[in-house]
Amino acid sequence: MVDRLLFILSETVTSLRRHGMLQLAAISTACVALILLGSVGMMLYKLDAIAQSLPRQFEMEVFLKVQVPRERALVLQKQVGAMPEVARVQLVPREQAWEEEKQRYAGEVNLSDLPNPLPDKLIVHTHHPQQLPMVAARLRPHPDVDEVLDQRDTLERVLSVARLVRWVGLSLVSMLLLSALVLIYNAVRLTIFARQREVRIMTLVGATLRTIRMPFVLEGAVQGGMGGILAAGLVLLGAGLLSDYMLRLWPFLNDLPPGAPAALVLVGLPTLGMLLGGLCAWWAARRFVRIGSS
Amino acid sequence: MVELQGVSVVYGTAYALCRVSLKVEPGEFVFLVGMTGAGKSTLLKLLYGELRPTEGRVFVDGQEVNRLREREIPFLRRRMGIIPQDYPLLPRKTVWENIAYGLRAIGYSQSAVRRRVAQVLAQVGLSEQANAYPHQLSGGEAQRVAIARALANNPPLLLADEPTANLDPDTCWEIVQLLQQINLRGTTVIVATHNRAVVDRANKRVVALDRGQIISDVPRGGYPAELDKLYPPVAAVAETPFLKRL
Repeated sequence: MVDRLLFILSETVTSLRRHGMLQLAAISTACVALILLGSVGMMLYKLDAIAQSLPRQFEMEVFLKVQVPRERALVLQKQVGAMPEVARVQLVPREQAWEEEKQRYAGEVNLSDLPNPLPDKLIVHTHHPQQLPMVAARLRPHPDVDEVLDQRDTLERVLSVARLVRWVGLSLVSMLLLSALVLIYNAVRLTIFARQREVRIMTLVGATLRTIRMPFVLEGAVQGGMGGILAAGLVLLGAGLLSDYMLRLWPFLNDLPPGAPAALVLVGLPTLGMLLGGLCAWWAARRFVRIGSS
Repeated sequence: MVELQGVSVVYGTAYALCRVSLKVEPGEFVFLVGMTGAGKSTLLKLLYGELRPTEGRVFVDGQEVNRLREREIPFLRRRMGIIPQDYPLLPRKTVWENIAYGLRAIGYSQSAVRRRVAQVLAQVGLSEQANAYPHQLSGGEAQRVAIARALANNPPLLLADEPTANLDPDTCWEIVQLLQQINLRGTTVIVATHNRAVVDRANKRVVALDRGQIISDVPRGGYPAELDKLYPPVAAVAETPFLKRL
């Protein structure tokens, strides 16, 4: 058993060493396919995170009129809090809101000399997102309320875009996966043809199908794994550079939830590459390594 | 040891073998002779399970080969040594490594491989060339390596397809002598050939095939007269007047 395992491993290593150009072709094929897969995967992960985070952020901001005194604001807070649909209501005093704004733009704009233009506001959370329009409709006519922002349209727009991107992305990933499978399959098929002599000898001396096919499967897994390692590095590098560039252009992107963790990419892509490579190699070996004919 | 019962092999509409029946006892030495396309290689391929008969049954060592599943064929082949026409040596491996390769593929331990390779190299007279590469060998030596590799697993049956092809007459005879020595040790040997000289000289059982059928089977003798009648030797044709030949 150990001797056979050693034989299989030595065959794999010999083949990996000897057919340099074929290895390069297979590894680069796997790498390109996995870069595309990884990029689309990361994009989907990010969009999914945004989509997931939106319902949690689903809240309504009720801006009071500037001249409304604090006592009336507190009364209104109590009235809103008593509504059965409302889960929680928080009063944000205009002083606190102004301080937050000043800190947010610190270093960019000096707001300390300006008078506070902000009104008090209530942040209202309902038990269910569907209840927000109803509560908003009830609050809008209130004499102390200036404006109600319920973000419903924004949310729906983002969610529909996320849905679209998810479907398009999944279709794209499926197609890429298929083309990656075919490309790696083809590379392994070439390796099998390059090693026809060894295969012929093994079949004639009575080596089992598993012994003959296993080096190809391992070889495919190694090619896929190496392609995956390269792809993971390149995807992370690309994502880092792109992210830096976009954050410089649009600083508000910082508020979005983080993308796929680097560890997931570093482990996921090589593992996926190994599985894909091994699977394709097994498929090719099953097809092209036979012991007898009918 | 080997038995074919009413075996036919059909490629498309052409018969490669047509209702062939043959029995080879353990320890026999048999030449299968015939012209190219007579069905010699097809018959050997049936014995080691590379082909399945269209009809009939093939037995090797009591086992019905045509009923074996693909995954069972390797275990049949471990009980035979096969020297097919396209049995190349691995060019980047030495003689020693070429023989060891087959043994390692069927799970021999390192020490058993070392022991067995040394034995078969001595048996085929190639101990001195153990570290040579195939391109450094003569045709006869390369064929000896192929024989050594087939013998490495100590099989009771040896199948050789044209082992003397492309060799000069002296080397052909050396190879046949080597096969005879192997036979004397108890191994059943079946050799497919169309080399008239070695068949005449060896004086062994000769089974003649023509267009997929056995046309003669003599326990001892030379190249069969039946084949000579069907396909006169080149020298005889050359002596026939040109118009007569037409």
